[in-house]
Amino acid sequence: MEMRLDVVLRYIGVVMLFIATFMLLSAGISYFNGMDSAFYPLLLSALLTTLLGIFPLIFVERQEQLTTKEGFCIVVGAWLLACVVGSFPYLIWGGEFSVINAWFESVSGFTTTGATVLNDIESLPRGMLFWRMSTTWIGGIGVVMFALVILPSMGRNKLTLTNVELSTLAKDNYRYRTQVIVRILLAVYVGLMIISMLLLKLAGMNWFDALCHAMSVCATSGFSTKNASIAYFNSPAIDWVLIFSMMMAGVHFGLIFATVTGKRNNLFRSEVARWYFGMLLLGGLLITVSVFAADLYPTFFTAFRGGLFQFVSLMTTTGFATADTNQWTSFAIVILLFGSLVCACAGSTTGGLKINRLILSLKMIRARLSQQQHPNAIIRIRLDGAIQDTESLHSVTVFIVTYLLLILVGTVFGTMLGIDLMTSFSGSIASIGNVGPGFGEVGSMNNFSALPAAFKLSNSLLMLFGRLEIFGLIQLFFIKWWR
Amino acid sequence: MTGLRKRVTVGFLSIVCLLFFSGMVSFLELSHLSRDTGDILEANQRNISLAKQMLDAAHEQNVALIHLSVFGDQSYDSLCRACMTRLENTLLVAQQEAVDKSFLDSLAFATTDLRLLVDSYLAFGENEHDANAPEAGSKWYNNEYEALHTRVTSAIKAYMTSTQSSLAPRADQMRKNAYRAVTPVLISLVVMIAIVLMLYYFMSIYCVHPIVRMNKGLDDFLTFHIPFAVKGQLKDEVLELKERIDTLISMTKQPKF
Repeated sequence: MEMRLDVVLRYIGVVMLFIATFMLLSAGISYFNGMDSAFYPLLLSALLTTLLGIFPLIFVERQEQLTTKEGFCIVVGAWLLACVVGSFPYLIWGGEFSVINAWFESVSGFTTTGATVLNDIESLPRGMLFWRMSTTWIGGIGVVMFALVILPSMGRNKLTLTNVELSTLAKDNYRYRTQVIVRILLAVYVGLMIISMLLLKLAGMNWFDALCHAMSVCATSGFSTKNASIAYFNSPAIDWVLIFSMMMAGVHFGLIFATVTGKRNNLFRSEVARWYFGMLLLGGLLITVSVFAADLYPTFFTAFRGGLFQFVSLMTTTGFATADTNQWTSFAIVILLFGSLVCACAGSTTGGLKINRLILSLKMIRARLSQQQHPNAIIRIRLDGAIQDTESLHSVTVFIVTYLLLILVGTVFGTMLGIDLMTSFSGSIASIGNVGPGFGEVGSMNNFSALPAAFKLSNSLLMLFGRLEIFGLIQLFFIKWWR
Repeated sequence: MTGLRKRVTVGFLSIVCLLFFSGMVSFLELSHLSRDTGDILEANQRNISLAKQMLDAAHEQNVALIHLSVFGDQSYDSLCRACMTRLENTLLVAQQEAVDKSFLDSLAFATTDLRLLVDSYLAFGENEHDANAPEAGSKWYNNEYEALHTRVTSAIKAYMTSTQSSLAPRADQMRKNAYRAVTPVLISLVVMIAIVLMLYYFMSIYCVHPIVRMNKGLDDFLTFHIPFAVKGQLKDEVLELKERIDTLISMTKQPKF
């Protein structure tokens, strides 16, 4: 069956309308803050996005059935177009936003990377700050997923779109129909945000900052309303609340739901969760010992708080900062880079390789060694008790190889532009993993503003590759040959 | 208004709306830019005018005090007082109009000191000033007045330059805004191009292609007697047209009595 472009445009239009709603919401916040300078750019952008979205809806009638190819085009197209229209408010508002900067900020928001090109975030009006957080919040769970939940009239098409938007790994741990999975995802997502917001308010933030940081943390984005990120607040209570929220946002949402509802396949019985929490604790402790031994913190407890915060922040791909990690020891930097590379669990809002793939890789290495010792043995690899078929293991290997290859390409491209190796390498890891901060010129207390436009563009492409699990975007270039 | 006509109307109305919108935004942005330019020019002109008035007053007072203290000419007494008042009044106006009053702080202090010095000198002169002892007046002028006069004139010049330099960032921002002013219009145009392309595409697949197919189907029927059958998805008036052609063909096939 030939691909129906008109149908694809119709469903992308639905997503556009959804994004326009958030623009209007941000304009509303701007209005209630004394019609700040963001009101007019947000309103204008909302109108333009609405026009773009409503146009195909008028022409194309609702379809009962979508093909996988169409579903794929809708998802990838919606992500790309969301990034384009998401940059409209920034461009119209002006300030530090050039065309490249606006595109970078928009991609960084929707892909939940949280890297910024802004030197003075605090100069942004509240409406614009809220729009920044909205992009990241929508992107956290997926632009299409949101539309799926909100719009009831998608019928059987939900299945096709969900299959494309959610990876196979992300759908593990669910024993429900697609419709229910989508609802669980949203319930956990919103629930986590509300809990984080209330805890942050109790810890001393004002309502607006608490809301923005809660939106950012549950999307594991790392966008902050302050130039110095979380270091601005200098509050142990806020640090601990965010450590908890970041940790939870990095867990498979199905596991959180099962734990809260008292189901059997819960957080405490999950092998992946055990690895995840174990690695967080081990990484945090190793960094703590390293920075404490280097006299970077006065007490062991403050070193533990700082070390754990940064490790959790990078491993969950959030990217909040309470310290300038460029000043830390080389050992701590290597551990942090490892965290940025591996990242958290599949089925959460985090990006990166995902811990599931790391576990499977380690098990494959072990199986390979056993196979050499016992050539006739039939060795099965299990994850959370489920036997992994050859196809799954093969896709894990291919994903890891492609992921590392893209990091290499990004690093080489950066060095070609005259950027130092650390900045280029860590910037590529931070972009493809949707982490945000790296090291060197893109460290936790720096940003991408001073880097060449070509590097910003290449990194925004890496962010999209990371968010669409690499092959989603690569397929787009070969759509013509897809049968 | 239904079907095809509705869709075409909505399509073109969207384009008209966007055109109107782009025009309005351009108009608003350019008005804003024009107003900003006017404000900067006016502020610039006003600043120069006030500084000139203050410098004139200080200069005239200086001349009057030379006549008064060095040559002992008491007729300059009133001119000296009038110049002081003029200087103070102009300063007051400048303070009222200034956006950033900190630029005028040093001038205000210097003017107050000058007022105190001149008042005390004039009060002394009214009672005990000796016109035959010009040395004392010259000494007062050189030792006390001249330094303060220089301080006042320097403060006026500093006010003039600092206000000018404070206008520079505004002018720079305006330069950037000039580029920004066209951004909404450019974005509107990009959206309009996207809508035009979509309209073209939808018109092609929902209107032009079916009519071409029907035309070919009719041609095949008339020329080769191939049954009239149009493939593809048809809707709206195009579908009605196809159905009517089907009816017409079936009517022509019925025997004539």
